Amino acid sequence: MILLANQSEKEMKSNKIWTIITFEFLTRVKSKGFILSTFLGPIFLIAIMVIPGIVASLSMEDTSKRIAVIDQTGEFAEKIIASDKSVFFATTKSMDELKKDLLDGSLDAFLLIPKNIENEGSATIYTQGGGGIGLIEKTENILSEIIREKRLTNAGVDKSVIDLVEKKVSINTVKVTKEGVQKDYTEFYSIFGYILGFMIYILMFSYGALVMRGVINEKANRIIEILNSSASAMEIMMGKIFGIAAVGLLQVLVWIVLILAISVLAGPIVNSVLGQTDMTSINNMNIPSATQPTPFEIPPIPLGTWIAFVFFFLAGYFLYSSLFAAIGSAVNQEEDAAQLQTPITMPLIIPILFMPAIMGNPDSPLAIILSLIPFFTPMLMTARIAATSVPFWQVTLSVVLTLLTLYFSIWVASKIYRIGILSYGKKPQFKDLLRWIKLAK
Amino acid sequence: MEILKISNVTKKFGDFLAVDNLSMQVNEGVIFGLLGPNGAGKTTTIRMITNILFPDQGEILIMGEQINPNLKNKIGYLPEERGLYKKNKVIEQLEYFGRLKGLSQREANHRAKFWLNKVGAAGWENKKIEELSKGMAQKVQFVATVLHNPKILILDEPFSGFDPINTELIKNIILEMKANGTTIILSTHQMYQVEQLCDEILMINQGKVVLSGNLREVKKEFGTNHLVIEFTGNGDFLDNIEKSKIIDISANRVELRIEKYDEAQQILKNAVINNQITKFEIKEPPLNEIFIDIVSKSIGERNEKQ
Repeated sequence: MILLANQSEKEMKSNKIWTIITFEFLTRVKSKGFILSTFLGPIFLIAIMVIPGIVASLSMEDTSKRIAVIDQTGEFAEKIIASDKSVFFATTKSMDELKKDLLDGSLDAFLLIPKNIENEGSATIYTQGGGGIGLIEKTENILSEIIREKRLTNAGVDKSVIDLVEKKVSINTVKVTKEGVQKDYTEFYSIFGYILGFMIYILMFSYGALVMRGVINEKANRIIEILNSSASAMEIMMGKIFGIAAVGLLQVLVWIVLILAISVLAGPIVNSVLGQTDMTSINNMNIPSATQPTPFEIPPIPLGTWIAFVFFFLAGYFLYSSLFAAIGSAVNQEEDAAQLQTPITMPLIIPILFMPAIMGNPDSPLAIILSLIPFFTPMLMTARIAATSVPFWQVTLSVVLTLLTLYFSIWVASKIYRIGILSYGKKPQFKDLLRWIKLAK
Repeated sequence: MEILKISNVTKKFGDFLAVDNLSMQVNEGVIFGLLGPNGAGKTTTIRMITNILFPDQGEILIMGEQINPNLKNKIGYLPEERGLYKKNKVIEQLEYFGRLKGLSQREANHRAKFWLNKVGAAGWENKKIEELSKGMAQKVQFVATVLHNPKILILDEPFSGFDPINTELIKNIILEMKANGTTIILSTHQMYQVEQLCDEILMINQGKVVLSGNLREVKKEFGTNHLVIEFTGNGDFLDNIEKSKIIDISANRVELRIEKYDEAQQILKNAVINNQITKFEIKEPPLNEIFIDIVSKSIGERNEKQ
């Protein structure tokens, strides 16, 4: 035959595991699902985080609603209207007329300030129904400020004292490090740690399940025997795990880059959207703007946190995906995997349950101990590293323990896998898996 | 010269003895029929040859070399249960399987196209397997098996799923590969195909060899010949023949089992007296019959033992 020339020795020795890795990687990376989740994932995530904030801010400054002010005291209307001319306006109409206007829709709402407001302190907003918390809150804030000032003046308090009282108090937390004093973002870092831990959970689970489905697919579609007649069971299993790891790593790196890019760009963009209305209201209320934090300032995320995230994602992925591969090799179809999967999914879920407690106090003994348990480490240690300063010995110990467990889990998985992929027939039980471990030499 | 030599190989799965002290050898360039009833240990034997399973005891030599992972590239294996990646394109999988057998990407691509063309599947390169019919997928599978020009080709039920035209096509390719020096191990239950293709056969049952050798010799040794006579007349010559020897009888055709050629001559002499003979033929025993005989005999032996 024409084309069947002798194969060169060099080609014969071409690395099979590398062939498997590239096939697994390229097949998945080219899929629509991967492209969509990679690029839309972070946008979706950020949208979830940012949109409610923007919407809330905008609704607080809702300028579409206009409120007529009836002031029975005759003292406050002017100040209220001055606070935001776009919302409040004076009226000469009677209450009955205004009510009619409300009903026929020509008026959004009106505010009634009773004569006894200084003593009883209760104004009323009449609306078409609803009106939103933003509207009420805004009116309440402005009104109480004005009334408070009036009460203080009535009590004979000096103007300079009133100014002092009016000055808002905010707490600036400051973190002391070796490099010196810097602004502290404890809350932000806690939430960030929580998000990273949760992302590792989702990534380990979904990529582990991807490995398992891949193994089941090859077994159910009888591809495995052809593969196994070309490469060893260990090469096939590890090739798949590495190939899918590369997919996960690529996705995570794209995400990190996108998140960094968006966070750099998002602050200025969001601020420029919200900025103007914010500034006017702040000025009108005479609040010194220096004490007001910029709404979308994103604190610096240390490189170490990102490294920990990528490292523990990979370590956790290898740990769990090898076990997922073992389960996949044992069953004949995906439905059968549910029961055998439980011992793997349990340690995946437990850290999620402890996460709130741990993030509440990331330096507590509970947090330290749980984060050192190898099956929990990927999620909890990453979360702690993001949230607090984890002592070096704890990080080192967790890395060593995780790597040892990882080695052991791959060893066990390869034994189950080798026998599992060739075992068809009845649904295997746990004792079968244990028997296979003993059987494989 | 033998290309494959299996010596005293035993394989157990727990308490189940799948292959029991099996020895066999396959000469280079032949088509070798590996036969046996379901569960006889054929697949286990094949899996040990392909280095998927490892024998508990005994030795397997391929081209004089102890079985090892590097030899996998010299073997092509078509398992009985077929399978390909449903979502991947034909060419992607063929390149993948070719590369796993040690071909370069480019070489795998060239050969895949060459073979697709050869099996009448030109232009399928970019189709996904799920878009192909079962028969079409079988062809792709066959290409995946022979792509790397294996020295030993192991085919487990290669014709299942093929229509007569494609069966003929595959058969011709097998014969062509044989002519090019490939050794072929054929495992099938279609005895007709074995008779047409195989030079040597080995029959195993319950993990043991029960029959082996050159196909013609095996037939001569183990089978009884069949005599077919077609005639017009009263058929009185049949009265002298033992009923047990008659396999099949109808108005003017009879098929008999005979031990010797002399016996046939005697029957012919008797027949011509009152009948007109339109056909007289001594047939080789069908392999099918030998297969059933031997398997049922060994089942009988097993029952006696128990």
